[in-house]
Amino acid sequence: MTALEDFGRVAASLDNPYIERWKHEGGKVVGYYCTYVPVELIHAAGMLPFRMRATGSKSTDLGDVYVSSSTCTFCRHSLDQAMRGAYGFLDGLVSLFSCDHIRRTYDVWKHGKVELPCSPFYFEFLSVPVKAEPANVRWLAGELDRFKRSLEEHFNVTITDEALARSIRLYNERRLLLRRLYEFRKRDAPPVSGAEVLEVLISATAMPPEEFNQVLRQALVELEGREGRSDYRARLLLGGVDLDDPGYVRLIEDLGGLVVADFLCFGIRDFWDMTDEDGEPLAALAKRYVSNVSCPRMIDRPGRQQFLDDLVKDYRVDGVLLQRMKYCDLWGGECAMTQWDLAKNGTPCMILEREYLMGPVGQMRTRVQAFLETIEGC
Amino acid sequence: MVGEKYQVHRQMYEAMRGRDSPSARMVAGWLGGVFDAIESGRPIVYHSFALFSEVIVAMDLQPLCCEAWDMIASSVDPMHPARSIDTAHEAGIPPEMCSYDKAIIGSVLQETVPPPAMIALSATPCQNVYITYQAVAQLTGAPLHVSDIPYDLDERGAMEYWIGQYRDLISFLEEHSGRKMDYDRLREVVEESNRCVEYWLELLELQKLRPAPRSGPLWTGTYAGMTAFGLPSSTAAVKALLDRVKQDVAEGKTAVPDERIRVVWFHFPVGWDTGLIDWMGELGAAVPYVEMDGYHAEPVDTSSPESMIRGMARRALEVPMVKIAQGETGQYIEDLLYVVEQWHGDCAIIAGHPGCKWISSAYGLIRDACRERNVPVLLYDVDLVDFRVVSAEESRTRIGEFLQMVLEQRN
Ligand code: SF4
Ligand code: SF4
Repeated sequence: MTALEDFGRVAASLDNPYIERWKHEGGKVVGYYCTYVPVELIHAAGMLPFRMRATGSKSTDLGDVYVSSSTCTFCRHSLDQAMRGAYGFLDGLVSLFSCDHIRRTYDVWKHGKVELPCSPFYFEFLSVPVKAEPANVRWLAGELDRFKRSLEEHFNVTITDEALARSIRLYNERRLLLRRLYEFRKRDAPPVSGAEVLEVLISATAMPPEEFNQVLRQALVELEGREGRSDYRARLLLGGVDLDDPGYVRLIEDLGGLVVADFLCFGIRDFWDMTDEDGEPLAALAKRYVSNVSCPRMIDRPGRQQFLDDLVKDYRVDGVLLQRMKYCDLWGGECAMTQWDLAKNGTPCMILEREYLMGPVGQMRTRVQAFLETIEGC
Repeated sequence: MVGEKYQVHRQMYEAMRGRDSPSARMVAGWLGGVFDAIESGRPIVYHSFALFSEVIVAMDLQPLCCEAWDMIASSVDPMHPARSIDTAHEAGIPPEMCSYDKAIIGSVLQETVPPPAMIALSATPCQNVYITYQAVAQLTGAPLHVSDIPYDLDERGAMEYWIGQYRDLISFLEEHSGRKMDYDRLREVVEESNRCVEYWLELLELQKLRPAPRSGPLWTGTYAGMTAFGLPSSTAAVKALLDRVKQDVAEGKTAVPDERIRVVWFHFPVGWDTGLIDWMGELGAAVPYVEMDGYHAEPVDTSSPESMIRGMARRALEVPMVKIAQGETGQYIEDLLYVVEQWHGDCAIIAGHPGCKWISSAYGLIRDACRERNVPVLLYDVDLVDFRVVSAEESRTRIGEFLQMVLEQRN
């Protein structure tokens, strides 16, 4: 199996052989819902951070008992999975006010409506600011200190400064490796597809980081020797709501649009920014997490747009595809505002609405086709 | 001259300023202030309803609460919000967003609201407002200030952090207006808003009487908070309403003479169904408490600039809709059950406004908690602003069936 195939296997299901081995060796796994959770702290406590997905979910029947039809389908599927015991490998869950849907989904867990995988199960909710001025960074540093102490207390461990510094270095290394992966995407004939990159990125959130870095290094070597793809019709940037389905990207790429860049929570937003390795660790983490490439939960529209505009230039993007989840207010509004700004500099942009599960793809195909034709006609 | 722009509000201003009623004078005073600001170039500051306007007023800037601007217009032109909402949809704003907010974006796009020089937002009650005020900033180019709010206000240091964020708002206004805060003027303004709040709270207390003196939203207090807080006109309006209610109580007049059920309406009212409360009254249901009026604040200590900032910051957390949206579902449930108990509610109705995912995504927990406490609750989907989403007939059918059920259970 190649390294990229290994990532494909990890991304295809919730559980994976790495988690199984980790658990088998007595390791603990802590789930988190959002990129604003500093995974370094969980790792420094000796645990495996796992980014919540609902991969493999087939219905929302059980989840719907507690939320409503206007809750986004990611949350509904995730809750449904929880109620069916699909997250049996978790020992805890960390959340924050990522969005109004997520915070209530967490509340359903917390209020004992989900049969917990173990007892006592660890719960933590972080108060993460919506802006990144010095006072907000200081507040978050205090929150992270509280988070650190709660992990120590619950799991009866000590998170030393050395361990935290090591974790910070490890995750920074992961970020640098991912940046190298993204360099391939800038080529005229990128040797890696957008779907494959998404598999790598999903794996980054579901594997022990030491092993992930090792497999990624191997993947980078494999890619050096791989022939690039130049038969595409357009270079696309894929942005918008959390996307953990490589099949969605594959569908776009099968139509000839090569995804060479992204603005996704599982993508560039998750890994782009580095943590300062020289500073006091909690302060450095606070600064990194609150001032990273922001998502719409942050009041930072101009900053996000600037980053996106730079990506369009750096990756020579022909068109921007934004996807929003039905009922997701945050990304729904953000996509509209992004489209207004992109229109000013004439960058073609299209917004696709979707549900968590892909469902019938006919309409999506037609729309993507039309979008590619528009770009070709530009 | 204001010219042709803002005609709906202009008409409203003309209609209201000649009236005797203190609430009409309060609204006219606010609208007149906005028109005066346009003509004189005095900076207009947009603020979300979650931030009262005392600091803006004290700096002689013109407050314009965007939510109030649109809500008020619908009383003259019921199609006003619908047109604004359609404009927002045409610009790509998704239908599932809050219609209060979509109307704001639409009004900015249609230029039916005067442009701001500054925008002030606090990060509450929900993320629809984040989107909306960022969109407004993007469309108008005005600088945006946001005061961050910690999720759990009981957490150590949370209140100090929030007060710091609120204090920073004053620096923002000073920086962008070139004016300094006059703390003596602020004291006058806050003393006035303290009086207004005192009357407001007294009014709420009277609503605990059985039968209730008034049924449904009281409006005046809410508009006082959103338009002219800290100005004598708002105090006068709330005081006048209080006096009328006191007189009714003295004369034994009640809102629903045959009050058989008391309903706690734990959200904003269905603004477009103006006959709903009377219709409920015909069924014997009084609504002594609407969350829109649910202000439970302490007076602000005006002894020093610092005490005023701290007091106003604390009070901003008690704004209706803000208090109940903040924090985890358990807090919401606690607040709901507290109100049911204090206002002697027999049941609760919670309108699941499409934007409020923090309510609809907690339906199951709210339902379970109410069941445990034997509080019948109706959780039903209805748009509070846009009459085209759920019809009055559908909405009333749900309410009617629910009230019938509550009555039967009691019998
Ligand atoms: S898709 Fe939108 S609503 Fe759903 S969890 Fe993500 S941000 Fe929240
Ligand atoms: S809390 Fe609900 S009604 Fe209030 S602004 Fe948000 S979505 Fe709209």
